[in-house]
Amino acid sequence: MKIIQARPYDFQLQLESCALVVIDMQRDFVESGGFGEALGNDVSILQDIVPTVVQLLAIWRELSGLVIHTREVHLPDLSNCPPAKIRRGNLTTKIGDPGPMGRLLIAGEYGSEIIEPLLPLSGEVVIDKPGKGAFYNTDLGKILNERGITQLMIVGVTTEVCLQTTMREANDRGFDCLLIEDATASYFPEFKQSTIEMIVAQGGIVGWTTPLSNLIQGLAN
Amino acid sequence: MIQSVPYSWPFDGNLTLQNTALIVIDMQTDFCGYGGYVDKMGYDLSLTRAPIEPIKNLLKEVRELGLFVIHTREGHRPDLTDLPANKVWRSKNIGAGIGDPGPCGKILIRGEPGWEIIPELAPLASECLIDKPGKGSFYATDLDMILRTKGIRNLILTGITTDVCVHTTMRDANDRGYECLLLEDCTGATDYGNYLASLKMIQMQGGVFGAVANSLQLIEGLKTLSI
Repeated sequence: MKIIQARPYDFQLQLESCALVVIDMQRDFVESGGFGEALGNDVSILQDIVPTVVQLLAIWRELSGLVIHTREVHLPDLSNCPPAKIRRGNLTTKIGDPGPMGRLLIAGEYGSEIIEPLLPLSGEVVIDKPGKGAFYNTDLGKILNERGITQLMIVGVTTEVCLQTTMREANDRGFDCLLIEDATASYFPEFKQSTIEMIVAQGGIVGWTTPLSNLIQGLAN
Repeated sequence: MIQSVPYSWPFDGNLTLQNTALIVIDMQTDFCGYGGYVDKMGYDLSLTRAPIEPIKNLLKEVRELGLFVIHTREGHRPDLTDLPANKVWRSKNIGAGIGDPGPCGKILIRGEPGWEIIPELAPLASECLIDKPGKGSFYATDLDMILRTKGIRNLILTGITTDVCVHTTMRDANDRGYECLLLEDCTGATDYGNYLASLKMIQMQGGVFGAVANSLQLIEGLKTLSI
């Protein structure tokens, strides 16, 4: 067991039963011309975390830890996309519409793929999810149970939307969750900060948070 | 309304081509093809092949009517990360280990020839495909979400095997409030007694899981809707 200094108190990391979950590091959210930009966001703020996520991924692969990548995508016929989700925002370019990187948030399109520096290796698990949370209507819960996973280290985008939904789903399912603070980003920095505060409130009501440097230090001990 | 037992289906007569879907369960080589999983376990293939022609005919009819069609495939990820230890243990025990090489590729593994739906019943590009790791079609899949998005509330069930994947799916659907109809000529089991018992279980308690009809009764009823 490794003791990781974290908020609100130390996280007891059990390497063999912990998985790294990388949420939605897709072109559609991180690069220009995707869904994130269609919503009117500045995507550069998300690009800033890429080197940190790359570093964490390399560390975790070195330890032979289980890696899970998620992608928010819908079927080409939109049959798993609620009409309310498509209507939301009253956008000129909606989910399923063509964009510079293919149809927005549609499985198989260039924009829906994970960005190059974080491409999944064979043997790593890829979860396609139709919603914000990675458990709803996916086989993630089943895979974690089969693997005997009880702890999740969660990173990716965006902090208050898909990451936080997933962390809350996991928390309710009994997983110990650790957020790596500098490996997540939001289009709204104040929302990222609020998310961290919400997680650690009331004795860690949703889980723990820590910067990558603390994780590295804890692993070295 | 569809003529069926133990009641005319659906219960409230609310049957339209828009609120109803046909689900074809696991008509894969592994379950009804030569050299597949069921064949390798040593069962009589004629029992699980019996529904092929009736389903083929049914698909032709409902495609003309524009009914929403869903196909399911039971299979596991190639790295077996979604395969429970007891499931693989049991399969090895009967001499057909999931993930082991067989005449049709690795048994019950996504992407292998044996896992594909048989060519006679191949899905159209516009039809829905659900890959499921278990017997039921709802567990660890997005089927429920798709049905709700499409506004589907009546489910017509076909496929194999009656007592395993079809019954688990029907029970799952029933608990979720879907109104279910099983077509007795479009389903089969690896054991004839289990097939008959499965049909009977549905009809107990006034239709505890739904109703049972045959495909001709269904087609006749659906055709009255379209005119």
